[in-house]
Amino acid sequence: MQSLKKHLPGSWRKLLLSLTLLISGLGLLFWPARTLRSDNFVFYFPTSRRVIPLEVIDSVQYLPLLPVLNLVGSLSGLTERRNNLKLAFGDSHIELHDGDPRVRLDKKTLILAAPVRVSNGKWMVPSDFLTTVVARLTSQDVEYQIGTNRVFIGNIKPGSFTLRMEQESNGARLTFQFTDKVTVHTESVNGKWVMFLGDHPIQPLEQSFHFQNPYVSDVRFDDQDGLPKLVITPSAGGLNFYPELSEGDKILRAEVSKPAPAQPPPQTLKAPPPATPSSTAATAPLLAPGPATGTAAPAGPATPAGPPLPVVALDAGHGGEDNGARSRDGVLEKELVVQLVDRVRQALLTTGKFRVIMTRTGDANVTFEQRAVAANVAGAAYFLTFHAGDLGGGSPQVAIYTYQSPGLASPSPEGGANPFFVAWDRVQENHIGQSRQLAQTIERDLAVLAGVTVDPATPAPERTLRSVNSPAVAIEIGSLSPDVDAGPLTDPEFQLHLSSIVAEALSALQAGGA
Amino acid sequence: MSRRAKIFWIAVMVVFAGGLFYLRSLARRVFFEPPPHSDESAKARLSEAVLQSGAGPNEIAVLLFPSLSGRGLVAESRPIKWAPSAADRVRQVLLALAEGPSQRLGHPLAAATTVRAVFLTLDGTAYVDLSSDLVSGIYPGIEAESLAVYSIVNSITTNIPAVKRVKILIQGQEVDTLEGHADLTEAIVPDPSLVKGNP
Repeated sequence: MQSLKKHLPGSWRKLLLSLTLLISGLGLLFWPARTLRSDNFVFYFPTSRRVIPLEVIDSVQYLPLLPVLNLVGSLSGLTERRNNLKLAFGDSHIELHDGDPRVRLDKKTLILAAPVRVSNGKWMVPSDFLTTVVARLTSQDVEYQIGTNRVFIGNIKPGSFTLRMEQESNGARLTFQFTDKVTVHTESVNGKWVMFLGDHPIQPLEQSFHFQNPYVSDVRFDDQDGLPKLVITPSAGGLNFYPELSEGDKILRAEVSKPAPAQPPPQTLKAPPPATPSSTAATAPLLAPGPATGTAAPAGPATPAGPPLPVVALDAGHGGEDNGARSRDGVLEKELVVQLVDRVRQALLTTGKFRVIMTRTGDANVTFEQRAVAANVAGAAYFLTFHAGDLGGGSPQVAIYTYQSPGLASPSPEGGANPFFVAWDRVQENHIGQSRQLAQTIERDLAVLAGVTVDPATPAPERTLRSVNSPAVAIEIGSLSPDVDAGPLTDPEFQLHLSSIVAEALSALQAGGA
Repeated sequence: MSRRAKIFWIAVMVVFAGGLFYLRSLARRVFFEPPPHSDESAKARLSEAVLQSGAGPNEIAVLLFPSLSGRGLVAESRPIKWAPSAADRVRQVLLALAEGPSQRLGHPLAAATTVRAVFLTLDGTAYVDLSSDLVSGIYPGIEAESLAVYSIVNSITTNIPAVKRVKILIQGQEVDTLEGHADLTEAIVPDPSLVKGNP
């Protein structure tokens, strides 16, 4: 140090110091550990939300003062002395002292539940600072319950929910009753089911629920990353999970059940073996996560003997902001196909030969990749995506499509090129032949539908199919366009017939009767 | 301070300043979009190109429109005075498609569609940048979108043999699909099997 002082004049030393501080600041800014902290505090604003890391000092939750103030307004002045900090915030002046629970706000003295601290150079305040001081600093409503890790600032009415659990013969049913309409998007992560609850802020009555039950061990509400979600921990691996929104999207029913007894493996199509997803994201599916180890693993103790049933992945097209087609009488494709997919699901489950996952339940935005991932992770034996659109001509009509690579028009009758490596996002090219067989089987069986025009199965560059790693077809019903009413397509009888025929076609294919 | 120390610190500062400059330029590239070309300038360029075309003799252009009743494309011929350059010919084909068919056939492009730009590459790929009005003329659906896309691709490749495939951009951006169905993520090769004889 002496030699450094000797070699460097004062101005250079200052420059060196500034550079060191700058580099340290940049290092801290990009230090990944900052984002890995598990304890966060979520600030909900009417149009946004922010997450600030919490620090626990002597069992008291502390928030960093300056980031908190910058979230709710802007600082106009700051004077820091050794144990004292003075801040100008709008027209108000705040004064704090290290180790002192008293905060001077203009001419008032407010007392916090715990003393103000300076930790690693940062001024930290206990969380009741939000209601004691912040509520007076801003003209907005501040809603904070002591002990929770979230605060609602501004005109926000957070929702809540209650949970009821019922035991069933082969599983359990969880019923969540929400105070407001929610959207749900489900993923399977590290052996748990995670149900993201849309963008609506939620203040749960209970943070977590614990059960002594062979199917579900606990249900926990979590919004530590700013995304409200329910995390359900199964008691064992290999269980099926069927979430479904109903009654105006205010009731979420989730069935947890053991898979049905095994059936013979497929003979005609070389379908990939069903698997139990455990670590990768899927989208609003009915999934069976593996044990909570975080890695892919064989089914857990709840799985009955014998191979599990093959999985059929059902995809309801569009959803969320994407309405898809619209009929003259206002029927939206995204809603129509959810109805249809639900009927197909019921028909497939009735056969007792399949497990079913759905890539979308409710009105959620789901990307093409998420749809494919949901099916691929579940090891789906078949993938069916349902759409409704303009098919020209009368109604009802049904058209079936297999995937056609846009860069490779009119594929050979034998199917895809089957190269050694295929990019994951176009893996469907490896299944073109099987997909065509699937399409032809469904088309043939649909021919018996009276009064319904069935177009011959053809290839089309349907984006949803591109990344699906199993035999996959798109089924489009029509016509749903602004020129015609949707009437025949919404007819339950038509939907039930179509669903049962699709289920029968898959059963026949599975049994080798195609 | 010794001369060597001065040189050392100057070198450190130069490297640091260079690093900062690089980070700044990187941030500009990542966080700030390039200034968008206005639709007006795109239309002006298009008009200019159209004015330059039409100098040659009348020839026949074959346009492929979606059939209303079946699942395919129907050919329709019309006289055209080809522009000299292939890129302008691509524009002419697109504008002719936007004008619509003379028979009772589908419209692959809305009449308001603007051809913002056309680029041709040496490997025979035509990049056509269309305005977002394109989708306003198409009813969403697998069949409708698929036929609209192949109407564009097949019409261009049929009339301009130098073009082997077409990459469609919307408002200068790559898009996943047209309206949720037709895969536009890569350049599309024509599908002659879609061409039917009659409307």
